[in-house]
Amino acid sequence: MPHHTFKCSECIPERRQHAVIKGPGEDLTSALPEGYLNTIPGTISERGCAYCGAKHVIGTPMKDVIHISHGPVGCTYDTWQTKRYISDNDNFQIKNTFATDVKEKHIVFGAEGLLKKNIIEAFKAFPEIKRMTIYSTCATALIGDDIGAVAQEVMDEMPEVDIFVCNSPGFAGPSQSGGHHIINIAWIKQKVGTVEPEITSDYVINYVGEYNIQGDQEVMVDYFKTMGIQVLSTFTGNGSYDDLRAMHRAHLNVLECARSAEYICNELRVKYGIPRLDIDGFGFEPLSASLRKVGLFFGIEDRAQAIIDEETARWKPELDWYKERLQGKKVCLWPGGSKLWHWANVIHEEMGLEVVSMYTKFGHQGDMEKGIARCDTGALAIDDPNELEGLEALEMLKPDIILTGKRPGEVAKKVRVPYLNAHAYHNGPYKGYEGWVRFARDIYNAIYSPIHQLSALDISKDAIPTDKGFATQRMTSDANLSEEIRSSVTLRQYTGGYDSVSKLRTKTYPHLQNQLAGV
Amino acid sequence: MEELMKERVAQLENYILKHCLWQFHSRTWDREKQNEGVLSKTMQILCDEPVDKGTPADRCYWVDAVVLAEEYKKRFSWLAALDKTEIKLLMQGLKERIDYVTITGSLNKELTVKQY
Repeated sequence: MPHHTFKCSECIPERRQHAVIKGPGEDLTSALPEGYLNTIPGTISERGCAYCGAKHVIGTPMKDVIHISHGPVGCTYDTWQTKRYISDNDNFQIKNTFATDVKEKHIVFGAEGLLKKNIIEAFKAFPEIKRMTIYSTCATALIGDDIGAVAQEVMDEMPEVDIFVCNSPGFAGPSQSGGHHIINIAWIKQKVGTVEPEITSDYVINYVGEYNIQGDQEVMVDYFKTMGIQVLSTFTGNGSYDDLRAMHRAHLNVLECARSAEYICNELRVKYGIPRLDIDGFGFEPLSASLRKVGLFFGIEDRAQAIIDEETARWKPELDWYKERLQGKKVCLWPGGSKLWHWANVIHEEMGLEVVSMYTKFGHQGDMEKGIARCDTGALAIDDPNELEGLEALEMLKPDIILTGKRPGEVAKKVRVPYLNAHAYHNGPYKGYEGWVRFARDIYNAIYSPIHQLSALDISKDAIPTDKGFATQRMTSDANLSEEIRSSVTLRQYTGGYDSVSKLRTKTYPHLQNQLAGV
Repeated sequence: MEELMKERVAQLENYILKHCLWQFHSRTWDREKQNEGVLSKTMQILCDEPVDKGTPADRCYWVDAVVLAEEYKKRFSWLAALDKTEIKLLMQGLKERIDYVTITGSLNKELTVKQY
């Protein structure tokens, strides 16, 4: 096994099992790190907790819901300043956050009364919202508050409301991934099958494991609707609570992030016989294959092909403009979640970037299997890295850019590695054909930002040069390109708008209607 | 001959590992079904044999198989020169290799966990 030992972790021999470098001739039967285990004493994990995985990752992207944390107010930290799972109902779910504000006296005497009071208060404060999700936290799970009983009591008194209870306190798993699992299973047990939807198409899907980061979901749903497909629910980005109660009526579950949401797909497959189709929404080729597969399933592949042809013709010259300028740049792909494997191969094939390292903070070995399979020889794969290991890897690999979350991203910036937010994005959406160009544009802007010319100077000892001018992005990026590429009239920079999502919300889809036989 | 076969299986395997997702479901029993479902249907498509699409699950295997067969034909021109017997032998070798990499030789300890 080609394990890698970080110098900073030599005193923690167990950490050796959590990093590998894929060597020549090695495959998944010889190069796979440990994963999804408790943090090893002596190191410090940078993961979220199971409560975070349930609420902030999976639950809260549901848009028409009061999401209330039963616990101290600090547990609601991740709100609209840190999350970008937007919605088309004015972002109710990220603008407003709710906690029962549990204090010491409630821990001693119980907090169920406080919870009931808060539920009613929240519904009264937002009378147009009739749906609620309650998340337990460490504090209220430890004192044994019966949240389900309180929720039922309120529903008996207020029959117009519906409440979902998620018991996923912080200690329920070694990382936020445990919370993903819990909320998936809880939703199918408590809510799926409790609403009968109106079916308006012959082709009905649930779009699962998609969280609408800066509009990703809306881009993909636009494609599906254009194909005449009814998207019954989206789990859970921009998703509606009642739509998600009707998941049992779909013909197909289209799964994007398998790690966070395969559980509900698998349960729907066992209980209702709905098959699961895993897709990639990022990159021209993977996305085209995905649309084609969904089209083939329903016998409407010509509609998928029409979208593929039109979108590719429109956006490929812009993607290729960036590819020419990103060729060979080294990237640390440290997104933490499913983008590890969604991006590992396609950013190499379609943007020319070399993935020299990848990591997952909370993933399972299955995530690493996909990532390592898609990376080339020499890539360093790290499970659950800490900050020191991250810094050591940057020093060793000297990447041109790091794609990661904002905490490790800010650390990378301090050692002069350009950072792009792979979690919440800089200027997303990144899904869809246009989105993939936006992503390439953001990578280009990060790598070639003129600020790096200044940041490389140590003003405590280096003199600021005054004899040469300032190099623009184009001067730097085009320095080694051929004249043919530099002056190409075919290739061009991104020509889309600042906001590529809002216009989709008012779009009409005429052929969705009247598809059902006899309608 | 054996070396050539091995080399060709490696090319087909590399495509699957880099571009597909169906082979990495999270449990052994699921991977067995996926590998069998998708690869047997891919073989049938490549051999111009009828493919069963009777159940929703079969249709799912089939759509992955259609796209895989298309990509194989597009990328590996040597496929066109093979007869049906050779294709079946090749696909059998590929199935054994994918089963080994994703199931029997896998280091993923979660594969045998009973619950999802």
